[in-house]
Amino acid sequence: MSLVEITNLRKHFDSVRAVDGVDLAIDQGEFLVILGPSGCGKTTLMRMIAGLEKPTAGRISIGAQDVTSLPPRKRGVSMVFQSYALYPHMNVFNNIAFPLRAQRREKKFDKRLIRQKVEMTARLLEIDMLLDRRPRQLSGGQRQRVAIARAMVTQPAVLLLDEPLSNLDAKLRANARDELKDFQRSSDITAVFVTHDQIEAMGLGDRIVVMSEGKIQQIGTPQTIYDDPANEFVATFLGSPSMNILSADGFRFGFRPEHFLPKTVSDSPENSRIFHYYVKRVEYLGSDRLVYGYVQGHESALTLAKVPSNVRVSLDVEADYEFAVHNSDIKFFDKASGQRVDGQNLAEAV
Amino acid sequence: MARLALPAFPLDNRRLVGALFLAPALLYILLLVGLPFVLAIGFGFSDVTVGNTDLNFVGLRNFEAVWENHIFRQVFETTIRFTLVSQVFILLFANILAVVFTQDFTGKWIARFIFILPWATPVSLAMIGWLWMLDTKYSPIDYLLLQTGFLGPGGILSGNRNLYWLAAPDLAQISVIFVQVWRMTPLATVILMAGLSSIPTDILDQAEVDGSRFMRTLLQIKLPLILPIMVIALLFSMITMFSDMTVVYVLTRGGPVDYTRVLGLYSFQVGIEGGNLAQGAAISLFAFPLLLAMAIFMLRAASRAEVQ
Repeated sequence: MSLVEITNLRKHFDSVRAVDGVDLAIDQGEFLVILGPSGCGKTTLMRMIAGLEKPTAGRISIGAQDVTSLPPRKRGVSMVFQSYALYPHMNVFNNIAFPLRAQRREKKFDKRLIRQKVEMTARLLEIDMLLDRRPRQLSGGQRQRVAIARAMVTQPAVLLLDEPLSNLDAKLRANARDELKDFQRSSDITAVFVTHDQIEAMGLGDRIVVMSEGKIQQIGTPQTIYDDPANEFVATFLGSPSMNILSADGFRFGFRPEHFLPKTVSDSPENSRIFHYYVKRVEYLGSDRLVYGYVQGHESALTLAKVPSNVRVSLDVEADYEFAVHNSDIKFFDKASGQRVDGQNLAEAV
Repeated sequence: MARLALPAFPLDNRRLVGALFLAPALLYILLLVGLPFVLAIGFGFSDVTVGNTDLNFVGLRNFEAVWENHIFRQVFETTIRFTLVSQVFILLFANILAVVFTQDFTGKWIARFIFILPWATPVSLAMIGWLWMLDTKYSPIDYLLLQTGFLGPGGILSGNRNLYWLAAPDLAQISVIFVQVWRMTPLATVILMAGLSSIPTDILDQAEVDGSRFMRTLLQIKLPLILPIMVIALLFSMITMFSDMTVVYVLTRGGPVDYTRVLGLYSFQVGIEGGNLAQGAAISLFAFPLLLAMAIFMLRAASRAEVQ
């Protein structure tokens, strides 16, 4: 039995189907990432789990209790917003204490217990020396920790995080990601993390839910999602630069730029597909060379190759080469639906 | 570098455009605020009357005479009392109404529209309406009370058939304060509504997820966050109220006796109706340092309370 179970959840805003029939089970202690482009319904889905948005249809249960029509305070969830939403007129102590005080009567928290809990959580997040400060006196990273402390202090069943790293600068972000993961693992809390950033998603998620147009496209570990995409959307949404997609008779197939390498460096050319590749332009990116060109017979689409810098084959512009892709790295998709199809009998047609 | 010789176009001249845009505001301030203010100061230190418009400097004589006048002292005290009492109710009602009007309910638009009318109606026009509502003999309020048995022989409120809203000393003061509250609550409400809707929704969503209910969110999140705006609303309505004369001029002319005479009206009655321009000016100038100090104090408090 999963901790959170979502069944056929829908949210329609007038004619827009923000969330369009989502089924999802989240396990205790799991770090689940909901990934998708903006407008895919991921934030709406999270707000429905939090109880901030009323579903048009469907059911949400947390810990075997149906919470679909319960207000947020009765769900045992807490949330960290993208803006951190710290109360600007309260110091850090009062910010963290706020949810405890709000639930004081139901949970029978007295003053001493509240102080104890706030101080303990603050120590855990290493912000115990900031308790007297106002939010405006804190750095971005400190604000984020205060927001997490406030969300954790009530020991919620589920911690919801809405792009909490996107307000940090790039350097801090990698660090914060690492800390967040450590913290989640050591506290064994169930976390649902919404993001549009695939690197964040791959780095943090035990499992990733890829969403588009209100629907779940695929659920799986980062590796499954990347290596074994369920459809063309997932295949092209993950990876940078994204997967090359070429058309064939009755179907489409794709391979990632990093799997598209000169035949001379291929470790098993006999198990690979060989393409004639015309190199148009080469970008030197330090760790890689990014090659832009055309595959013979598929000149309508630009095809990219990402050649690691330790591959020292010379690649001249406006020249033809033989490039190879390992058979297992070629994915096949149905032309109409975009769904993955078995490539066994299609491989010959490529 | 060679510059292209373009034909000079007058509106390309930043100084000219700047002056042009500033002119209406400057003219307004100079002619309708600055000039009367300077005139009032000039008059206050002179012996000018409607009959004799020569300006002779008489020093502080007018101010001394006004200060020693017991009617002035009473008027001054009444003005302060009316202002303070009405502000308490205006703030209370404006807060309640602002919270109500920022909730979602059907008919909100029409309710807001009707509610804003007292403020949008010209004061004198609205006061004529109230003059009738509070009429000594034909007041509809009295009529309703009479029909329901609160008035008339054996009535709970009075054995008479009328309450004399504007003629009984206590009731006249209450009536004036009530009408002022009625008239100025909408503006304060609109200002507070703007404040409430400027609170980021993330903060309110966060409070909801944190388990905060309506009253806690209102008292601990919303009101502290709009405190600076509340001070501004208070300042606006206090200054308007302190210097207003229209309401009492139409409703009571300051009566009965002097019970509802306020500074603005008294200054008008002495200076214009009584013809003693110099003393009228001196009376109104007494309000100036008080209002100035109040404005400075409140604006400072507002900027100190401002967060982020």
